[in-house]
Amino acid sequence: MRLLRLTWAVAANAFSESVRHRFFTLFFVFAFASVYASVLAGVMAVDQEARVLADFGLALIELTALAYALFNAASVLLKEAETKTIYLVFSRPVPRWAYLAGKLWGALLTAGLMLAVMAAMHLALLALRGFGVPAFYGWALAGAFLKLAVITAIAFFVSLFSTSPVSTIVISGILWTAGHFASEARFMAERVPGVAAPALKGLLWLIPNLQIFNARDAAGAASALPPAAFAAAGAWMLAACLGSLWLLSRKEF
Amino acid sequence: MTRARFFLPAAALLAWGAGGFAASRAYRPHFPPPSEIQVPVKGAAGDMFSLALGTRRLFADLWFIRLMQYYGTREKPLAGEERECAEHPGERHHDHHGLNGEGLYPEFFSRARHILELDPHFASAGLYAAGSLAFNMDRPAEAEALLNFGIKYAPREWKYATLLAAVGYSKAQDPAAVARTITPLITDKDCPVMLKQLAAFLNKKAGDLAAAAVIYADIAATSRDAAYVDNARRELEKLSKKARRP
Repeated sequence: MRLLRLTWAVAANAFSESVRHRFFTLFFVFAFASVYASVLAGVMAVDQEARVLADFGLALIELTALAYALFNAASVLLKEAETKTIYLVFSRPVPRWAYLAGKLWGALLTAGLMLAVMAAMHLALLALRGFGVPAFYGWALAGAFLKLAVITAIAFFVSLFSTSPVSTIVISGILWTAGHFASEARFMAERVPGVAAPALKGLLWLIPNLQIFNARDAAGAASALPPAAFAAAGAWMLAACLGSLWLLSRKEF
Repeated sequence: MTRARFFLPAAALLAWGAGGFAASRAYRPHFPPPSEIQVPVKGAAGDMFSLALGTRRLFADLWFIRLMQYYGTREKPLAGEERECAEHPGERHHDHHGLNGEGLYPEFFSRARHILELDPHFASAGLYAAGSLAFNMDRPAEAEALLNFGIKYAPREWKYATLLAAVGYSKAQDPAAVARTITPLITDKDCPVMLKQLAAFLNKKAGDLAAAAVIYADIAATSRDAAYVDNARRELEKLSKKARRP
């Protein structure tokens, strides 16, 4: 119970620091402007305005939340190490895993808040144009949150061995795009002749298949996320956290 | 400390593998493989983004807007094709591109197919494009190819199969059968207004004025395309005048 309280204290602190960051406000302004600009594309689509507005809005919401989540995850641990705040934390009886779990929890709360507020803005815009809530909307947001959760955990791991926040953002961004290419890459790997095929397939296991969470894109086919998607997200996050804990345990504070 | 040195990375790898295993068992791709994607015009960079950011649906929307802009733009006349217009004496036109949408539009099929390559579940786009090819541009073979592509990757989409049957009747010069076949489509939310317009026209031609009036009223009430709405109102007026005549 004490450890849970400690973890929550770290999470609450991380959350309030993120929300108070001026970049957070800027991202909201950007998100609102982008979502509002999608009205133009919607109008051009004439009878498909509802679909275009929904697709534009959901994609922009996800990308904006991704940008902030990566920025936050890439800088938070490095900043605490640079400002020596981390020494203060570890001088108290705070286990490293509780610190890490708290930071991740705080980052996820921030991502969840961003998604919720931007979705509210988007739905208000849809209502203003005379459209209701798309049927797949809840699943699309849930999928976006799972993607953000996985990539944030990975970014935490990367930030512990990379030299700067920029390199963390770049590496995590590459993993994000590769994660969406996973099924295409698997298809191509199956067509590679010789021994290269199993080697490539083995390498592909290192990339999280983010398409499994992409309910936003699969809305026309099957938008509900399968239970395995939640299991995969949990496993990948756990793996990234264990890796981060391993790297953190090797550091001298 | 030594235990953590080996236990943590091993547990991390195990958890990562478990995540990959769960995802690979559950994931079924909903989209055509990359070998099916043929970029018709400039736009390869956009398509890369659509795959890399998981935004196929969004890029299918953009290609649909581009298709409508392409189809909505009057074609440049070929040499010697201009002639004096009967409606506008003294003026030489290529054609009057109105609601009928006649024309050559050589890139229409490849652009339309590209939308379905990105999102074969975008039924409205598939129906709009196939309907335009078959009924406006008299290219039923291309319409059939497009619908068959859609059916291949979205086999549960009954609307493609229905329109495919209607195209078949159209080839057999049976407008009454075409009207009958597309009737279930016109009440669907995915039905493009162009097909509704066609259904109304065919019903009117076959003498079923009540059915035509219902469809025109639906177009006037639900469409956001001003040209179709204006036309539907005009037709409704004509039909009501006809109905009032003894």
